[in-house]
Amino acid sequence: MAFPAMAFPAMAVIAQAVNGIMMGAVYALFAVGMVLVFGVMRVLNFAHGAVFMAGGYLCWFAMAHVSPIYPVALLFSTAGGAAIGLVLERLVFRRLRENLSMQIVASLGLILMAQNGVLLLFGADALQIEAPSLRRVLRLGELGFTVQHLVILAAVAVAVASLHVFLSRSRLGIAMRAASQDIQAARVVGIAPDRVFAITFALSGALAALGGALLGPLFLVFPGMGDLPLLKGLTAIVLGGMGSVWGAVLGGLAIGLLEAEATLFAPTDYRDLVVFAALIATLLLRPRGLFGTAIRGEP
Amino acid sequence: MRYAYLAVATALLAPAPGFSQAPKPVVLGIVTAQTGPLAAAGRFQMNGFAMALDALNRDGGIEIAGQRRPVALKVYDTHCSPAEGASAMERLASVDRAAMVLGELCSPAVAAETPVAQDNSVPFVITVPTAENLTLSGNPWVFRVNADNNQLNQALGRYVVEKGLAPLAFIAWNNDAGRGGVRSMEALLGASAKVAYTGYFNVGEVDFSAHVSNIRRAGARSVMLFMDEEPGALAIRQLRDAGLGVQLIGTLAMGSARFLARLDAKYLAGMMQYNAFPPSAPQPRIRAFDDQYRARFKEESHGFAAQSYDALMLAADALHRAGTTTDGEAVRKALAATSYDGVIGHIAFDAHGQAAPPVYVTQWCDDGTRKIIFPAELASACGGG
Amino acid sequence: MKAAATLLAVATAALLPVAFPGQPYMLQLATLTLCGIVPAIGLNLLFGYTGLVSLGHMGFAGVGGYAAALLMKQAGWPFLPALGSGALLAGAVGLLVGIPCLRLRSHFFIIVTLAVGLILSTLFTNLDWLTGGAEGLPGIPRPRPLAIGGVRIVLATPIGFYWVALAVTLGALLLQWAVVRSPFGSALAAIRQDETMAAARGVDVFAHKLAVFALSAGIAGAGGALQASFLRVAAPASFDLAASINLVAVVIIGGPGYLAGPVLGSIVFVALPEALRAAAQARLFVFGAVLVLLALFAPRGLLGLGTRLLRRHAAS
Repeated sequence: MAFPAMAFPAMAVIAQAVNGIMMGAVYALFAVGMVLVFGVMRVLNFAHGAVFMAGGYLCWFAMAHVSPIYPVALLFSTAGGAAIGLVLERLVFRRLRENLSMQIVASLGLILMAQNGVLLLFGADALQIEAPSLRRVLRLGELGFTVQHLVILAAVAVAVASLHVFLSRSRLGIAMRAASQDIQAARVVGIAPDRVFAITFALSGALAALGGALLGPLFLVFPGMGDLPLLKGLTAIVLGGMGSVWGAVLGGLAIGLLEAEATLFAPTDYRDLVVFAALIATLLLRPRGLFGTAIRGEP
Repeated sequence: MRYAYLAVATALLAPAPGFSQAPKPVVLGIVTAQTGPLAAAGRFQMNGFAMALDALNRDGGIEIAGQRRPVALKVYDTHCSPAEGASAMERLASVDRAAMVLGELCSPAVAAETPVAQDNSVPFVITVPTAENLTLSGNPWVFRVNADNNQLNQALGRYVVEKGLAPLAFIAWNNDAGRGGVRSMEALLGASAKVAYTGYFNVGEVDFSAHVSNIRRAGARSVMLFMDEEPGALAIRQLRDAGLGVQLIGTLAMGSARFLARLDAKYLAGMMQYNAFPPSAPQPRIRAFDDQYRARFKEESHGFAAQSYDALMLAADALHRAGTTTDGEAVRKALAATSYDGVIGHIAFDAHGQAAPPVYVTQWCDDGTRKIIFPAELASACGGG
Repeated sequence: MKAAATLLAVATAALLPVAFPGQPYMLQLATLTLCGIVPAIGLNLLFGYTGLVSLGHMGFAGVGGYAAALLMKQAGWPFLPALGSGALLAGAVGLLVGIPCLRLRSHFFIIVTLAVGLILSTLFTNLDWLTGGAEGLPGIPRPRPLAIGGVRIVLATPIGFYWVALAVTLGALLLQWAVVRSPFGSALAAIRQDETMAAARGVDVFAHKLAVFALSAGIAGAGGALQASFLRVAAPASFDLAASINLVAVVIIGGPGYLAGPVLGSIVFVALPEALRAAAQARLFVFGAVLVLLALFAPRGLLGLGTRLLRRHAAS
């Protein structure tokens, strides 16, 4: 492993910061969806990555067959993700709320179904979303990034901000937050727990699919595209304390930045190792994550 | 599996010779990846097998000991898992009674399959994986049609040194193909060319920005990409979009029209790649195969398909010469004595079962066509690579 | 009664290849199932009996697998000492990992085990000089012939290795049974039910968790060594995240906390995908659907389902 010993690479650090924040934003979006479901239902949905992947395919399908306008395709994917979320909640996860083991098995089954299902439907070749305007390169001195980098940052910011407003202002959102403290509390606001669960999963699915639809045009759409975001998203919610939306957002950004910068100072095949070692080290210092407080039902 | 049905159907449609019973089909086994990250590569491999299968059965199959027998393929997905590979090999050998097994895409799966082939006395012909050690384990039942890492890298390595393309940077898949390619190239170059940077990425990873930053910092003159066409297209786009004017050097997957379609000519101009099968080369055997492939699959032919096509055809040739499908040792000996002119070139196996088909270096022209630049005697104009 | 049934099952398993000769493919699958049972027993002790989920357990199996492989291939050690050393090393790594990580609670612990598994599989891929890298470590020998007095038993053949695998599996099952029946096992059960209560009753919760974590990693390591010798290659793909998640699913589907759970789960996970080869490209899709249905309709695993049905039958 040849590695150049050089002066502090200021430009490279800045370039990697831009890239790291962009990937971090995608991880954050992913993590927020997972942490919502975990917070409200105590369900760890490992199949969240499959919904992310479905978002990529929905976006490709929309651009190719519904409308070549990217924002329309984004809405299409997001709505599709919400629908998938509703179906998953109703048919699978509602019945597995108290059963972590079977959440794992069901998620594994769903991942196999989703990944091999799109393989049968769309073939094995990675698909490319044709959006030349999003691929346009912007230059800032030595730095170069695409329009899509900015679109991703903006879309994630809007999504997270709207989610914040929804959770803090709307009756449903307040019910969701109440449910994450105590499931019966939702009834106090006059909303049946089952409805809260359905809405939570729909929201989570929408966010995952949006993430896939955002990353798709920059990179490729393929069956395994949700695998790495799943690992990083899990790491993000744990770093963020497994309970708060903002913790997940900051966790996602931190991981994006860390892995981007780590590649400048460590061999690239050890990049993921650096991220996971950092996770373990953080938890040893702060056993409930960076922003965690005690979780319901725990001593 | 689909191909197996196809073969049976062909067998049923074939005119029955006289009143005698229809001849028993010759079963050949295929191990490949139909799911998982290498499913796309597996498709090219299967396309080659399907073409060869049809070519054989069109003529009534293989003539064995004076009787023409149709060919049937049994196809199993091993998706690069050693355990599934071993099980599939055992099933092909002992349940399906395959006379020979062909294919595979991943070196670790091959390493689990070859001892099972030996236990069952079934010859195994590898058509894609490139790790050198696969034919060096002293297992006489293993043959490889395609060039290994060292054979593939040799010409390109010489080219890098001659043209002064060092310091060199690598970006490679963190899998058997990528790590093996880098290891072999580094060993071949030795002290003759400086390696400025080696970066690995996981299969499925799509962001190459870190490598771009590092390559810029390391001051590499050329970048060698050990990966398939899909990440390759992303990597090149990201290198060029970041304004890096390095010489691009790629693998056989990158000398293809499909690759061009993922990018465009301005990204590729000047890029060179080693190639075991330049699909637009003017040689008649390559032209004939490419035309036939295009007619059937509506796209340019692929090296994995050509290698797999040749493997099945030479398997049929060996069975014909052996005059048996049940005597494994006789089939193995016939295979070892193979001298076959295939689509990829002349194929004969050395003492380790390794073939030495021709290897080319091709280069992209400004207009989105390719030319052969090595070997010198086969060099072609733009449009012929 | 129960002992007689167990004895019968063991005798049947041992005589299976003799009673049905000429079935090398079934023998292959049976041996592969045994190779899957051993690490599942390790995880069952941790998860089924103590309540701790580890999503990176095949990483420990990999430590045992690579260690045994190197000892046999490079140092020329015989099979059993190599397997034992692999298990010990995996247990030692488990101990080192457990000391810091077992202080974490519930879901934090689960994700950390995932991270540990990923770190280990990254090392298997990246340390080319030691592990052979992504291409794997090929050419791992099978056990040498065993000479007892004048009799020479060949263990490298399919039937011979089946008996080796069966012996190792029975050893692991026996160990599981002994642990569960011991006072140590009762303490583990107490921890699973309520940690605070167990501590109040004088159980040193951390020490018990650490011991069972190391033991469980060690058994997984023995399983990895068995598998590497069976497949004659150690490769990152056998010990990666997907393999670890599959292992958790094996334990859950069999029935966590049942002695025979790992056996049943491993049979499902080896036999079903092979049986589904008839479904061709839809194979893994169908397998996924079966997993979802099992999750919905057998919430305590297959043995849990079986026990419930038996009880209902007995009640009516």
